[in-house]
Amino acid sequence: MPPALLTTSLVNTIQIGSLYALMALGITLTFSVMKLPNFAHAEYVTVGAFAALIVSLAGEVNPLLIMLAAFIVGALVALISHVAVFKPLEGREVSFYTLILSSFAVGLILRYILFMIADYFNLFDTRIRIPLQIMLRESYLILTNIFFWVVPSSILLVIALTLLLNRTPLGREMRALANNPGLARVIGIPVERVKSYSWLLVGGLAGVAGALWGLQTAVSPLMGWAAIISVFAAAILGGLSSFAGTILGAYVVAFSENTIMLFLNFNFGLDLAYKPAIPFIIIIAVLLIRPQGFTELIRRAGDLQR
Amino acid sequence: MIQVHNLTAGYGKLEILQDLSLSFGARQLSAVLGPNGSGKSTLMKAIMGINRIFAGSIQLEDRELVGMPTEAISSLGLAYVPQRENIFDELTVLDNLQLGSRSLPGDERASALDELLELFPILGRRQTQRAGLLSGGEHQMLAIAIGWLSQPRIMLLDEPSAGLAPVVALEVFSVLKELGQQGITLIVVEQNARRILQYCDHAYVLREGRLAFESTAAECLADEETIKGYLGLR
Repeated sequence: MPPALLTTSLVNTIQIGSLYALMALGITLTFSVMKLPNFAHAEYVTVGAFAALIVSLAGEVNPLLIMLAAFIVGALVALISHVAVFKPLEGREVSFYTLILSSFAVGLILRYILFMIADYFNLFDTRIRIPLQIMLRESYLILTNIFFWVVPSSILLVIALTLLLNRTPLGREMRALANNPGLARVIGIPVERVKSYSWLLVGGLAGVAGALWGLQTAVSPLMGWAAIISVFAAAILGGLSSFAGTILGAYVVAFSENTIMLFLNFNFGLDLAYKPAIPFIIIIAVLLIRPQGFTELIRRAGDLQR
Repeated sequence: MIQVHNLTAGYGKLEILQDLSLSFGARQLSAVLGPNGSGKSTLMKAIMGINRIFAGSIQLEDRELVGMPTEAISSLGLAYVPQRENIFDELTVLDNLQLGSRSLPGDERASALDELLELFPILGRRQTQRAGLLSGGEHQMLAIAIGWLSQPRIMLLDEPSAGLAPVVALEVFSVLKELGQQGITLIVVEQNARRILQYCDHAYVLREGRLAFESTAAECLADEETIKGYLGLR
């Protein structure tokens, strides 16, 4: 594989992997705290991208403010889907499968609302108005301003989320709720309030991921949905419970989709059209061979450190 | 202190407690005894508002607990230590303790933790460890510690000595005795009747969801035949 191709694919791995990590952490958080594998997460990403697009079309050029708008809109949409759909369903003690299906339904509703909005305001195939610039060119390595927005923002947000979870009372209560919801209630943790904050956080991060995703491609109502299987693959690699595992999983999926895919294409002539199969292969392989993902490995490493 | 009137409670459609009436005295260690399935744990959960209550009332100093959410009941000064899954095993010991003391005002939290480490010295040495790695006795101490840290007036403990080696169980009982001396009202469900009767002030025997027998612990111990009969001991 020529070095130019390898370098580009590794840059893509880092850029896409960081975004996958941001999205997949939300999936893991929803699954552990709310006990819900939320497929509508894809649409919180898309909603964030559209919020970013609309704000940028309205004339805002500061990427930080664009991301803030995406955070707020994503957070609100996530909270609304909890209050309007998931919470009432939980109250009726429906089965796990009903919850999963309802998350698909919420996703569909949001997706087609976005289609209507995109149609009405003529937003198809428009881009967030931040022009692409080349910031660094070093032999084969080409880094754009998009890379410098996407990667540090994702990493900083992941660090912020980790600090929130590990260092604040709210984070501790979220971890307690994830670990043992019965006991959390018994010792008086305000479970509903903690869940609401978790939804805001999850939706907000997905929204920011959408805004960042929208910096690198055209915004479309299907963009979150197109990424969701890769994102779930990352979360499943993390055993749907470990944050470190999920982040690692995100980069593994991005590496497989970019570097390994190009390698197979270049050396064995495998058509690039097979790329979408990669996350499915990862999901099936993990569930067959190691359903707990990286969880146990990371936990053991942690126990040794202490 | 806690009055239970004509309580029928259970899970789903299943009624386990049948028209049960009894009252627990303040500043006492009350033991709730009885064979498996007699409704001991159901009674604890009913007081905490965890399971289904079909009829009857539970009053804490004239305040009706039936219908209140669990969080509100615990904020009245009740702490419940379940029999299983009574710690956050994925979190560190320190996280567990901080969760236990979360409802205290900031300045009391540190002193409560200091006092706790005197009561349970073993937990101090394990603070940074994941709670799931504790031994059986340490696990149980942590579970009791989480409940104690909210500085409750009443503690409900469901089989705190279950599955522990006899020596370790004795440590747990001596901690309970100490909690009692602090003025905390204790309601303890036990399988091991003989042992708890040496520590408690009052004993209640449940059978098939009803109160079969109650007396002071001293009477219970003296009246061995009665207790053997009710508990099915030989």
